[in-house]
Amino acid sequence: MTTAIETLGLTKIFGGLVAVNHVDLTIPEKSIFSVIGPNGAGKTTFYNCITGFYTPDEGTVTFFGESLVGLGPDRVMYKGIARTYQNIRLFSSMTAIENILVGEHSRLTTNFVEAIFRTPRFRKEEEAALNEAKRLLKFVGLAGLGDQVARNLPYGAQRRLEIARALASKPKLLLLDEPTAGMNPHETKEMMHFIRNLRDELGITILLIEHDMRMVMGVSDQVAVLDYGSKIAEGSPEEIQRNPRVIEAYLGRGATTETVN
Amino acid sequence: MNKQINNGFRTGLIFGIINIFLILIGFPMVAGTIIKDAIHNDSTVLLGLNADILDMLIFMGLIGLWAGASGGRRLKGEVDTWLDALASSASSGFTNGLLVGGLAYLLGALNDAGVRISVYLAAILPATIKQLLLGKNTLDGALLEFGFLFVTGLLGGALGFALRGQWRKALGDWWKKIWSGFVNSAWVRKIRSHPLFMPAVYALGLVILYIIPQEAGKYWNYTLGTVGIYVLLGLGLNVVVGFAGLLDLGYVAFFAIGAYTVALLTAPNPHHLMWSFWVALPIGIVLAAAAGILLGIPVLRMRGDYLAIVTLGFGEIIRILATSDLLTPFSGGPKGVSAIGGPTLFGKPFSSDKDFVYLIMIGILLTIFVTTQLRSSRVGRAWEAMREDETVARAMGINTLTHKLMAFAIGAAFAGLGGVLFASRNQFTGPEDHNLMVSINVLSVVIVGGMGSIPGVIAGAFALKGLPEVLREVQDYRVLFFGALLVIMMIWRPEGLWPSSRRSMELGKADDNAKKNSGAPGGKP
Amino acid sequence: MEKTAVHKASMPVNTYRLIQIVLGVVFSAYVIWRFYDVFIGNPAYGADTWMRFAISGVVLGSVYALVAIGYTLVYGILFMINFAHGDIMMIGAFGGYFVFEALKNIPSPTVGDPHQVFLNAHPIISVILAFVVGMIVAAVSGYFLEKIAYRPLRNAPRLVPLISAIGASIFLENAALLLFGSQRRDFVNPVQLTRGTGWNIPVNGTTVILPYTGVLTFVLSVLILIALYLLVQRTRIGRAMRAVAENKSTAALMGIDVDGVISRTFIISGALAGAAGVMWGIHLGLVYYQVGFIPGIKAFTAAVLGGIGNIPGAMLGGMFLGIIEALGPAILGLPFQLKDVLAFGILVLILIFRPTGLLGEVLSEEKV
Repeated sequence: MTTAIETLGLTKIFGGLVAVNHVDLTIPEKSIFSVIGPNGAGKTTFYNCITGFYTPDEGTVTFFGESLVGLGPDRVMYKGIARTYQNIRLFSSMTAIENILVGEHSRLTTNFVEAIFRTPRFRKEEEAALNEAKRLLKFVGLAGLGDQVARNLPYGAQRRLEIARALASKPKLLLLDEPTAGMNPHETKEMMHFIRNLRDELGITILLIEHDMRMVMGVSDQVAVLDYGSKIAEGSPEEIQRNPRVIEAYLGRGATTETVN
Repeated sequence: MNKQINNGFRTGLIFGIINIFLILIGFPMVAGTIIKDAIHNDSTVLLGLNADILDMLIFMGLIGLWAGASGGRRLKGEVDTWLDALASSASSGFTNGLLVGGLAYLLGALNDAGVRISVYLAAILPATIKQLLLGKNTLDGALLEFGFLFVTGLLGGALGFALRGQWRKALGDWWKKIWSGFVNSAWVRKIRSHPLFMPAVYALGLVILYIIPQEAGKYWNYTLGTVGIYVLLGLGLNVVVGFAGLLDLGYVAFFAIGAYTVALLTAPNPHHLMWSFWVALPIGIVLAAAAGILLGIPVLRMRGDYLAIVTLGFGEIIRILATSDLLTPFSGGPKGVSAIGGPTLFGKPFSSDKDFVYLIMIGILLTIFVTTQLRSSRVGRAWEAMREDETVARAMGINTLTHKLMAFAIGAAFAGLGGVLFASRNQFTGPEDHNLMVSINVLSVVIVGGMGSIPGVIAGAFALKGLPEVLREVQDYRVLFFGALLVIMMIWRPEGLWPSSRRSMELGKADDNAKKNSGAPGGKP
Repeated sequence: MEKTAVHKASMPVNTYRLIQIVLGVVFSAYVIWRFYDVFIGNPAYGADTWMRFAISGVVLGSVYALVAIGYTLVYGILFMINFAHGDIMMIGAFGGYFVFEALKNIPSPTVGDPHQVFLNAHPIISVILAFVVGMIVAAVSGYFLEKIAYRPLRNAPRLVPLISAIGASIFLENAALLLFGSQRRDFVNPVQLTRGTGWNIPVNGTTVILPYTGVLTFVLSVLILIALYLLVQRTRIGRAMRAVAENKSTAALMGIDVDGVISRTFIISGALAGAAGVMWGIHLGLVYYQVGFIPGIKAFTAAVLGGIGNIPGAMLGGMFLGIIEALGPAILGLPFQLKDVLAFGILVLILIFRPTGLLGEVLSEEKV
């Protein structure tokens, strides 16, 4: 199986605080890979290093054989990586469909001269883009809500819209940052289903940060655990559940609540 | 009851302070002049008061009524009887009157003591004080002033109570009924659904645009031209501020570049190049756009709010350079450049004020066309996304620097166009045409009209630039008003008076809308 | 996050870096050549002239430092440029002006001089009164400015409070224009502080005047800066201010009254600007409605120069800018008319080469 993304010795330091400490990860193509860890373990920083928001202080990030280090977030997106955010960050006064159209930005090619003169190529591209946006809207189950301004959508719909926006760029790798935060068990289950679908139907590799253990264990092929910026374990969900270091650092607490529930 | 009286007192305090401020800047007297022009022109004498005092009193009385009505307004969760309303409006009127009467007494007493107040407070001339004291002696005048505001306050409260809530609803219902009756009537529908309806509207619009300058006289054409230039500038700045969310306070610099380009290329002094207007026009536009890019490259990488102050500084640099001895041989210095060439059309001069109205209109239509087209395109969406959340926009693959540069350059190009037309029409340009106030005027136009909204900007330009042209008396207060307006708009209605509407892309008319929009020039903005 | 995201734009980084290096080399080479030319090649000015420049630079710099701190304090807490800050300084200057004008008209006959006025009879009290009144009116204006124009917009998108601030600045400036008229007024000092008088220092056979007003300005602003530093570092109010600057919501959870802290910040920065305004009047001798505009922009430059959010940085930046402004035109061979251009030029240069300022920014990081 080909490797989608590989980090070697990835390190990010914020004024003395080592947020990510020599993390090596290999994520195979078309897998669902979860990164878990207690709050402040450096998961989001890890994401930001991959997506180009931070330049890592040490180490490499390779995406299908190409290095991503030093590329800005927009270039990283062009390579085929899309992401969502822990606290939903939609373009809140644009409509749902406009949000998705912005997501398609990296795939569209017309420039402003073509836009002014409405060349046939421009019209064709815009029409295709709009149709694709409508299709995605339907795909995430928001058909009919496309003309709503994003901030007026219900919470769950906003989460799904954010995923649709990320999908609009036709990414090879999708980074989801706590997609089920604030969802009830039923919605979480739906989201699980949805994520699996993404991988099965679209063949997208998925990297997941998640707190909900049921979700992580239910959906992931592989799980890596970060604690204080370092990777302390990696393996299948079963292995992770049995790993004493993980239980000590994190799951111990989680596992007990899980049984109580 | 206590709460309402307290509220009345607070309202009175606020109104009193505002009133004192207005008096100190001499506004009630000027407002009185406007009222005089509007209602009568003779010098009526009523109750022993001459016309000047009466007209000022009308203005003060209106404020008094407002203070009373506002002080006696219904409070949430409080019993609302006529007694409450009157008591609280009385306390509002009392406070308002006390403050203003006190001021009148103080000014009168100082004046009586021989202090020349106008040395320190420019608007308070002895005549003004006399007007404020209603032509009476200090004590009587101040007491009368107090009494007047107290009574109008009470009246305002009573009026407010009598009309509580009802008139608004009644007015709203009446308007809704008329409007929906009109829109839904069979013949209106029939006309609207006719395929030639929109083309006919456009054609009619063009005909009207053609006729107006023909019928307007020289003065009105000049005024229209000035307003038109501001529409043009506003639409250009709208791309920068409204679409891309970049606060550019040095917009006037690009205007100046356009103006100086046409000036230096076509005027006999200081270079005697005497090029044709039609050559200078594109050069001015291109130079302005290039300056936008040059300034943009270092500056647009910065935190968004640094941009405002750097562009402000840049505008000042241009002005200082224009007036400096260093550039005088090149740019005409503080005296500016005169005898700037105008356009010719088929060998005939085409440069009267009327002709320029047409040129400016063409410029405006061009700007509207370009901006609407851009807005509903990949670039326009990228701008909007950037404005909403720059970090996420970058993660969506948007190269924010190039898109900002693009917005900056396009905005600058329109400013350059405006500058060329403005200088060429006035046949003169100088440093004073390009001071900070121009930037602030244009910014106010964009913000008051509605950031990102094209009809809003046009309406804004007419309201902010056209109205003061008509109401000459308030010219001095215009800038003060703009400043207050910017703050008030941000607090009360940040989206502007005429916010941009979103077109529906998914549902309903979406399908044919999409086709129509990609075909016809410009969808709904 | 903001910092990383915005400062690292996505244009080919290397090209930009290259342009930076080339520009930097060209610029440094020019400066070095000018230094050589001015001091060794063709010495145009004697030591006495340089000393005059330096004195005026240090005095101006101490005024800029006071104003710059106001920008830095507010930016550190609200992430907003308080555009109206220069106008608050103008209000302070008018406050001091009116105190002197009033005292000038109060007779205070002495044995020697029956026409003596209070201003000249009690110069120390007069100056103290001018500063107290100037600082109070400016602080009060700052307080109401925040309350009216900024507080309702605390959670709005960043453009909104910025526009409101610009509106407030325009409003204040034009209110002053309409109230006090457009003429430039002479700021009449007590006779003991007449501008242009001072200690004579012999240099190079001529004398350089160390003006009393300049010394007063400098000493007073150093005292104020020390007091401010102690206030921020050692007191409860200062701790609360730093906590709010670090993280508003956490500070609120810790029981800090965030609104109160913000109000106090505006009061403090207003008072500093007011003091700066009175100093400006006493030392340079003119007040008018736009007196705060250029110093305002320059002080902002100083704040950026030192690293915004950084209080010692603002002090240093202010001094530095004052000195550059006084010496720069002579060293760089620019006409003195263009000294304001120099300050803006510096602002643009810092933003190109070191946007975080000389001492580095002290801002809490926004999260992605």
